[in-house]
Amino acid sequence: MKAARWILTAVAALTVATAAQAQTPFPSSPPAPATPKDFTVPEATRFTLDNGLRVTLVPYGSVPRSNVVLVVNAGNVFEHANEVWLADLVGELMMEGTATRSATAVSEEAATMGGSVTVGVGADNATVAADALAEHTAAMVRLVADVATRPAMPESELPRLKADLLRNLSIARSTPQQIALERFRSTMYVDHSYGRLFPTDDMLQGYTVAQARDYYARTFGPARARLYVAGSFDVAAVEAAVREAFSGWQGAPTATAPTPNPFTERAIHIVDRPGAPQTTIIIGLPTIDPSHEDYVPLVVTNALLGGSFMSRITRNIREDKGYTYSPGSQISSRYRDAYWAQNADVTTADTGASLKEIFYEIDRLQSEPPSVDELEGVRNYVAGNFVLQNSSRVGIINQLSLLDFHGLPTSYLSDYVSKVHAVTPEKVQEIARKYIQDDKAIIVLVGDRKIIEEQVKDFGPIK
Amino acid sequence: MALALTAGLSAQQPSSPYTVDVDYHTLDNGLKVVLSRDTTAPVAVVAVYYNIGFRIEPRDRTGFAHLFEHMMFQGSEHLGKNQFISLVMSNGGVLNGSTRFDYTNYFQVVPAHTVETMLWAEADRMWGLNITEENLTNQQGVVKNEVRVNVLNQPYGGFPWLTLPQVANTNWYNAHNFYGALDDLDAATLDDVRSFFKTYYSPSNAVVVVRGDIDKAQTLEWIRTYFGGIPRADVPPLPDISEPRQEEEKRVEQEDPLATRPALAIGYHHPERNTPEYFAMGLIDQILVQGNDSRLYQALVQEKGLTGDVTGGANVLLGNMFNINGPTLWTAFLFHDAETSADDIIAAFDAQIERLRTSPVSAEELQRALTKRRSSLYAETEQFLGFGAVDLLASYALFDDDPSMINRLEPRFAEVTPELILETAREYLRPTNRTILIVKPGKKGDAQ
Repeated sequence: MKAARWILTAVAALTVATAAQAQTPFPSSPPAPATPKDFTVPEATRFTLDNGLRVTLVPYGSVPRSNVVLVVNAGNVFEHANEVWLADLVGELMMEGTATRSATAVSEEAATMGGSVTVGVGADNATVAADALAEHTAAMVRLVADVATRPAMPESELPRLKADLLRNLSIARSTPQQIALERFRSTMYVDHSYGRLFPTDDMLQGYTVAQARDYYARTFGPARARLYVAGSFDVAAVEAAVREAFSGWQGAPTATAPTPNPFTERAIHIVDRPGAPQTTIIIGLPTIDPSHEDYVPLVVTNALLGGSFMSRITRNIREDKGYTYSPGSQISSRYRDAYWAQNADVTTADTGASLKEIFYEIDRLQSEPPSVDELEGVRNYVAGNFVLQNSSRVGIINQLSLLDFHGLPTSYLSDYVSKVHAVTPEKVQEIARKYIQDDKAIIVLVGDRKIIEEQVKDFGPIK
Repeated sequence: MALALTAGLSAQQPSSPYTVDVDYHTLDNGLKVVLSRDTTAPVAVVAVYYNIGFRIEPRDRTGFAHLFEHMMFQGSEHLGKNQFISLVMSNGGVLNGSTRFDYTNYFQVVPAHTVETMLWAEADRMWGLNITEENLTNQQGVVKNEVRVNVLNQPYGGFPWLTLPQVANTNWYNAHNFYGALDDLDAATLDDVRSFFKTYYSPSNAVVVVRGDIDKAQTLEWIRTYFGGIPRADVPPLPDISEPRQEEEKRVEQEDPLATRPALAIGYHHPERNTPEYFAMGLIDQILVQGNDSRLYQALVQEKGLTGDVTGGANVLLGNMFNINGPTLWTAFLFHDAETSADDIIAAFDAQIERLRTSPVSAEELQRALTKRRSSLYAETEQFLGFGAVDLLASYALFDDDPSMINRLEPRFAEVTPELILETAREYLRPTNRTILIVKPGKKGDAQ
């Protein structure tokens, strides 16, 4: 029985299911699904404060909890070459209390509301994220404002926080997936912060509180920030709390980070890990970002090729060959920048064979369109997954902030499912040819060089 | 003044207690069924939990319960290899399975209109498997690579979730390598697979849970249609999985050649499920280690800077205090620097433990622990679009034959007094009730 036969129209399916039930105690083919229920992206209230802070409130959900997330365009992308992880240190220092609250007071106050406040730092953005029992939503907004806009950044905590970051760095540098990512990113993004995944120990040791405060001053400000609140709350009360807590915030004006000029060249980069039982593989290349008109077709193509459990590469190297446990491809996006990459941790002895199969699957998709049946299943998966992604508070905040960050219209969400269903087999082939040009892919292998070198030498020059 | 006070109070007024909808049935073949309606989004979770975890697996086949879980995706009577996965995904869903101490679960998170299709597929594999030698060999390869990526090729691989139970427990069922020795995984045969299925995968040893935007009467009818005819089998009684009372502290050092910094885990045998002490321990967990306001975070991180974080809990990294039936540990663990000795950290740790064992917690701190416990219970139920609630419903159906217990947890925690916390800490946080696991970086040292 072919997988795609299961995707029937509702009318035909009903007939099949009824007939099957009448004949046998257990039907030999699956009952087809009913008619999809209506799905709409939840309504949001949006407003902008006079200082430029853009606010989105989304009443949502039946569980009495809320999430408050402030996204600030203050990630690592604004670091200079000698400031790697300075943004991370800023994030750590922001957790150490405010002008009026000690770190302990912040933690206890958040806990009393059944939640916590954390500061996280990513490539483009920093986030101050909190959760709370629903009845404390407005109070949590005020606490987030205090942490985000009036951090004390005490000098006294600097040695301890640096020691923590140095320890995290040491552990990250010993983790094969992190080692692979570091090599991949530093190869693709030369002279850009996206390529600087790790600082040196000395660089990190040298940072001062003055540097951290300066970084905060030049990157944190209302015009560079968006506030999202999702959960069960009274919109008017939370809006009042937002206006009261954030209206006085002054800070850095908007700024545009330099977009990278990614480099790619078909070559193999081996990081030697003698005795490793597996090789950690990344095969990747620059591709289009979410603002491109072909992005949704690329999402569908990725899900079919390597980006889902039902994808061709996963079926091949996991479910057929057993080379690996958790392979997967993804489109990794930053501002006006993206790359496509396939990851896999494979048995050392199967490193060459794994490369062969991954390139075989990319080439096959470039040379012939997928069948209508196969594509139909993948389109349904991507469309269904979109519904799942928009069915939780954090999921909704993630979707909306992604849209805002990439400057996409809200119609992007309402049109998404129909765009997915419009992708044709020919389009998938075209996308694979245009945007997954594997003859230009960077290949990173973290593993036992003396065993894998011979296996992989036909797949590109070894660097 | 009075007005201000009233306004202050009403702003703090807790919303009405949150309850999870629960409808419980048992079919003639012994299959338990829990239905729970939640119309937040047009999605549903369909799950089947079998009352067999990795504690209980053949002694010469470590890792077999988990390997078997993989075989459940390899083909049944009407769904060949890959077809189960395709059926779920091409209907817009995601799926997974996992093996834990006391259960093995299989679940799909799907658009709500596809529930019947999912139930048919789960029933098909409860009726029986149809797999080949080739499928088994393939999944032996996959599972060995799972062990490699998560344990053998990873710094701190298996720490402490896999390694600590093996040294803290004395009963083989609780103390063996449940991910499996690679040669034990290789030794598994198709006969082993058939026998395990026949022994443990009876409807009378399982629960089906469906939660989401569903019509409960219709869903129950589908479950009767697809699962009702599956014959029941007598499941052998559980072996003795009890742990004796620990009378002496254990201290174990392990070398990790991939690690660059030392690590430390301390595990205490946990009070028995659903006893007053068990609920007290749930609040002790909040007081000691959950959140940055917790005593251990404040002492070890904020004040002394011995580590960057302290992580902990019951059934740590594998679940929570609710979804485990047999003996478990309450564990705290952390990573530190070579310049800081394990003894210094243990001394700072012990100061907090002894405080809890000698002086009662204030009403205010107890109230904060209760609030955090309540909030994280809600957070657990909503995890992964309601899968978290399904997990608790399944656990309470399988272990206690009463899924509605999910709605009676808050009062049980609220009954805990400072005196009970003191008594529970004195008995269960005894140094003689614990195992200290110390991980030392191996000879390779820092890769840098």
